[in-house]
Amino acid sequence: MATSSQQVPLLHRLSDGAVADIHFATLEILERTGLRLYDEEAVTLLKKAGAHVSEGNLVRIPARLVEWAIQIAPKRIPLYDRNGRQVMALQGNNCYFGTGSDCPHILDHRTGARREATLADVVDGMRVCDYLPNIDFVMSMFIPSDVPVPISDRYQMEAMLLNTTKPIVYVTHDLDGCRDAVEMAEVVAGGPDALRANPTACCYINITAPLRHNGEAIQKLMFLAKKGLPSIYVGSNTTRGVITPVTAAAAVALGNAGALAGLVLAQLVREGAPVVVMRTGGGGLDMSTMVSSYASPETQGYRGDVCHYYGLPIFGMAGCSDSKLPDEQALAEASLTLLVDSLMGANLIHDVGYIEYGLTNSLEMLTMCDDVIGWIRRFMEPQPVNRETLALDLIHEAGPDGEYLDKDHTYRHFREEWYPRLMNRDNRSNWEMAGGKSYREVAREKVEQVLETHRAPELDVDVQRGIRAVLERAANSAGVRLS
Amino acid sequence: MANYESLKQAVIDGNGARARDLTQRALDEGRSPQDILDSALIPAMDVVGDKFARHELFIPEMLVSARAMQAGLAVLKPLLSEGESRARGKVVIGTVKGDLHDIGKNLVAMMLQGGGFEVVDLGADVKPARFIEAVQTEKPDFVMMSALLTTTMLSMKETIDALQVAGLRDRVRIAVGGAPVTERFAKEIGADFYAPDANAAVLKARELAVRA
Repeated sequence: MATSSQQVPLLHRLSDGAVADIHFATLEILERTGLRLYDEEAVTLLKKAGAHVSEGNLVRIPARLVEWAIQIAPKRIPLYDRNGRQVMALQGNNCYFGTGSDCPHILDHRTGARREATLADVVDGMRVCDYLPNIDFVMSMFIPSDVPVPISDRYQMEAMLLNTTKPIVYVTHDLDGCRDAVEMAEVVAGGPDALRANPTACCYINITAPLRHNGEAIQKLMFLAKKGLPSIYVGSNTTRGVITPVTAAAAVALGNAGALAGLVLAQLVREGAPVVVMRTGGGGLDMSTMVSSYASPETQGYRGDVCHYYGLPIFGMAGCSDSKLPDEQALAEASLTLLVDSLMGANLIHDVGYIEYGLTNSLEMLTMCDDVIGWIRRFMEPQPVNRETLALDLIHEAGPDGEYLDKDHTYRHFREEWYPRLMNRDNRSNWEMAGGKSYREVAREKVEQVLETHRAPELDVDVQRGIRAVLERAANSAGVRLS
Repeated sequence: MANYESLKQAVIDGNGARARDLTQRALDEGRSPQDILDSALIPAMDVVGDKFARHELFIPEMLVSARAMQAGLAVLKPLLSEGESRARGKVVIGTVKGDLHDIGKNLVAMMLQGGGFEVVDLGADVKPARFIEAVQTEKPDFVMMSALLTTTMLSMKETIDALQVAGLRDRVRIAVGGAPVTERFAKEIGADFYAPDANAAVLKARELAVRA
């Protein structure tokens, strides 16, 4: 279910002129400064297409190539659930929400303590995601510390495929991991053609720096482009003041340059290769704590304007916090970023549930955010203003002394109101009688209840075996034992 | 010494030209290079480091101070003997094999320099053999390794093992850091210490350098 449609007005932070300036700055960075690509095949491909190559891997991409790639790249990327239903259309300003990947820690809802995450936590996380109505797609949430490191990405993929029917955004260590993840998804979809026709999974590829693209990232991008499968290629973590100049405009232009370089490469591999670009949110290095903030306000909204200018699907980032606990700060930062990403029409909004600037994930936080997203979705729905909703005859009939509780009109429309699932609107005495619980306590109980009762439908045994076979093969070639 | 107070203040303020001039003046007044280093330049950076730890100063301000300190040190360097110029100790630092992420490592290197350490930066994707070579030629007091990825963290162990095999392990203190690295991991792979952020790395190195 998309939050909004083209009919909902978007929030703009930049004027048309400012967006054009950022676009031209991006073209200049790619053409004048250039970028280093740590992959020979990619360098050769770009050179053939007219890019200027020096120092072996310093590639300067002419503006016309970038403009060409923007033009031919798909503006619409559909994603399907396990049952072959198209549940997401990354296009326009449709908003979808999901978790983030690879937090080394969990804030355990059972104990309240932070500890290293395990494979069981990934499984629990996917079960909760599968249940939560406003979580549209999943990412692994945790790095499992109790499985062999070289194949931990395969364990994550297996846990995601087994425990939720929702679309998956996966992250892998390298090209081999990416191949294995795709093969696992193909097993579930019923073969390579089935997966290509109805893609259920999308690879999130991150690069070292906007102008420095590591070999693994490029190889994954080219592999997926060849297969015609979707990927997300963002212009890296653009920590302002460190990886980019500290000012928002430069950070957005540099990040854009990194993302568009990937877009060019993907289109050269296969015209029409589906790529999601950019990443909203996030921000600067806090110059006092040295932490790279997940919720700073400066660049919020900028990237949306630039991406909408291209019409390309946007990777969002919201529902996350720098707080160490799922507390008041966490909910404030999560709610603000979720609202901003929705208002600017980001399509694939990830990192919901992150605390501690992306090092810790919390199922309580995720569950609280789900309710916040419900609020935002209702807020973003178009509000019709017409004869029925203005109800002038009703107002006139009721007159100045009338009331509306028992009217048919009220009965017809009251279900359109949004009701929270966890947020409390009880009067005080009822709330006290029910235990006087905080929002977080209610969320914790919800998590416990979901983990006890909710399971995604099991995959066929043969399919499960097929996934395991990929995992076993990876374990063999890495020389590690399955745990 | 009133003179040292204004030199210290020049470093704290990040005024490189003034730090250079006041260092020269102190030399002209007959102070020894070692005394200027120990009583003015390094204590000034300690003040800066402490202020940073209390969130009173921001990184760019600390870097400007470090640059001012280096300006003073540049005047002294030709006059200091080999041993003395390694005021606090020497650090060989690098991001380990397979990992191109060097921002955290660069930050630690800058802060170490600011803290009065001599830093040899090997860059990113540094193979164990390169660390060994650097330990042999540079004779550092510390080897510091950084990794951002859980997969490349394993290169840290590989490097420590390689130093062990080369018979160099006990000549240096080894520190590891980076987002996925934990105290427990550091212990497991036989590192001497772990620091959760750049400033902590400098503070720990400072502490160990005093004890050494």
